[in-house]
Amino acid sequence: MKLSSGMCPGLDENLLRSLRAADIRTVEDLVSSDIEDLAQKCSVSYKALFAIRRVLLAQNTAFPVSGADLYEELLSSTAILSTGNPSLDKLLDSGLYTGEITELTGGPGSGKSQVCFGVAVHIAYQLKQSVIYIDTTGGLTANRLLQMLQTETNNTDEQMEALQRIHTFRLFDVGALLDCLYGLGGGGLHKVCVGGGSVKALIVDSVSAVIAPLLGGKQNEGMSLMIQVAAALKTMAKDFSVAVLVTNHVTRSSSGEVQPGLGVSWSHVPRTRILLERVESGASGRRSATLIKSSRQACLIKEDFDLQWWSRAEGERGGETSGKRKLDETDT
Amino acid sequence: KSKRSRANDHEEEEGRTEMSESGTQLFARLEARRCLKDVEPRLFADDGGPDRGEVVEVYGPEGTGKTELLYHLLCRCVLPEAAGGLEVDVVFVDTDYSLDMFRLASVLDSRLNAGGSAGSDDAVLRLCLSRLLVVRCSSSSQLLLTLHFLETTLSSRPRAALLLIDSISAFYWSDRSEGGASVAKQEEKLSRCSELLGRLLRDYRITIFATCHPIRRGSNGPPSSSEADRSHLCRAWQRLVTHRLVCSRQEAQHNPANGDEGSGEQRNWQVFTVHCSSWTGTKGSRVSSFRVTDGGVEDGSESGSSDVWFYQ
Repeated sequence: MKLSSGMCPGLDENLLRSLRAADIRTVEDLVSSDIEDLAQKCSVSYKALFAIRRVLLAQNTAFPVSGADLYEELLSSTAILSTGNPSLDKLLDSGLYTGEITELTGGPGSGKSQVCFGVAVHIAYQLKQSVIYIDTTGGLTANRLLQMLQTETNNTDEQMEALQRIHTFRLFDVGALLDCLYGLGGGGLHKVCVGGGSVKALIVDSVSAVIAPLLGGKQNEGMSLMIQVAAALKTMAKDFSVAVLVTNHVTRSSSGEVQPGLGVSWSHVPRTRILLERVESGASGRRSATLIKSSRQACLIKEDFDLQWWSRAEGERGGETSGKRKLDETDT
Repeated sequence: KSKRSRANDHEEEEGRTEMSESGTQLFARLEARRCLKDVEPRLFADDGGPDRGEVVEVYGPEGTGKTELLYHLLCRCVLPEAAGGLEVDVVFVDTDYSLDMFRLASVLDSRLNAGGSAGSDDAVLRLCLSRLLVVRCSSSSQLLLTLHFLETTLSSRPRAALLLIDSISAFYWSDRSEGGASVAKQEEKLSRCSELLGRLLRDYRITIFATCHPIRRGSNGPPSSSEADRSHLCRAWQRLVTHRLVCSRQEAQHNPANGDEGSGEQRNWQVFTVHCSSWTGTKGSRVSSFRVTDGGVEDGSESGSSDVWFYQ
């Protein structure tokens, strides 16, 4: 980070010039150098330089937090959002956790977008919270969402209310995605919370569509942009207590098995990963979901579920619990 | 007090505390911090655990149990001695926002319960968690500045003996792209961090464990195939590392005949192996294996013993 005048009291143009002459241009240079030495070279008082160093350090460093305080904070701010589908919830250990990134991966036609629609509708209508939906494939239509809502309720007012809680962004390249995420992080989230309910979920469908074209070859740009997207998503999740759901494509590994796309460097980003596949036999809406990465459950548990779950007719809904399912404590 | 005398007081105070080490600072620096050689003897070759001032790099692709291993070590350090712990303070530097406090708390909880000490109540859990200090960094510049700041933290906490960094390779790609074409520029920030870490190791005699993610998909073959496992980080960091734990994963069938809940279905246990190489003291290597259960890391050897690892 470059040093500039006015960054902190005492750092004026004269001092900046003498520092530059001594080859100190950035905050890191100043903090790493020997203050006594530097004070002599720039003929400034040791105390003044030391005070400046201390202020710059305090402004730019990350502060340590006690584990106990962090735990308390997480206990009170973490919520688990049900996806609306009990089989998926079972795999996810009750649902999507705020503060974490969950990934849905699968081949074309495996139902990733449908699951995202269903989750968005469930959170907006049943849990009455706002959802941000970032669509990078052009697959999201308001009609589809309305269709799903119409099976939940016949009341058009309620339908409109729920639709208003789903805020969509349509973008097609990584620059726009980063701008959108930074904008949301820098205060945009509050503007979006009109109509009640804070934003509790952020869905990006799909993240690989904007990043995969950048990878490969010798350029480092692609990898660096991918890591920036990952960092932006994680910051959103942690700082605003939001559950992030992303979708990813699949590729085949050298031994022929199916694995999630975007490579090794992305594999650390989501906390939980689910692989969706079509079920060979059975009705067209059947899919199987396998848990391939989880920090809470044994891996490789599989659940079959029906994509039509979120569009069931009114009569089929038996004893489904509705209303907010917000858990304050996350006892597993 | 008038402004002038306040200014004088301030200057005096600064002079006392900054121009020379105060008594407490000197004491904190020189007093021996707890040696962590015995933090997990099953991982390292005989008596080859990390001594004060040594660095252990935990390397492995995603899903090979590195984070669980870190939690295991963390718990071992912060638990009270009655539950098998070492009662030392730990500083955790989180560079990719991956610390899962709930998982950590549940492992601590099960260790406290298994320890047989008067059950675990909230107070004991919070006492253990208060021995942990978490710092989150979002860029290598911030990491460098934070490490400078941590120097004061270390000097004010003489019980802090372990610095955990998860992970040290998090900024590899952003540094590479910022550095442009020159490799030296790309590695500059991590080199500076490594030099600073080296100084902290020398001055404060702590131990460092750091995880490192590989950058390309290596084969999950025998650990001796060093091609895929060679470190891609800068020289300055590689020079600091004295022990290297390479983690990999393989599946093993759990024998249902052991009366496992009578469910009759075979459970696939994920067994993780760790290959340890050391370059100091007793040069040697060792291969060990473990499983991950609800209660954390457990012995994964075929003999089927299910003792929790660090029961002394």
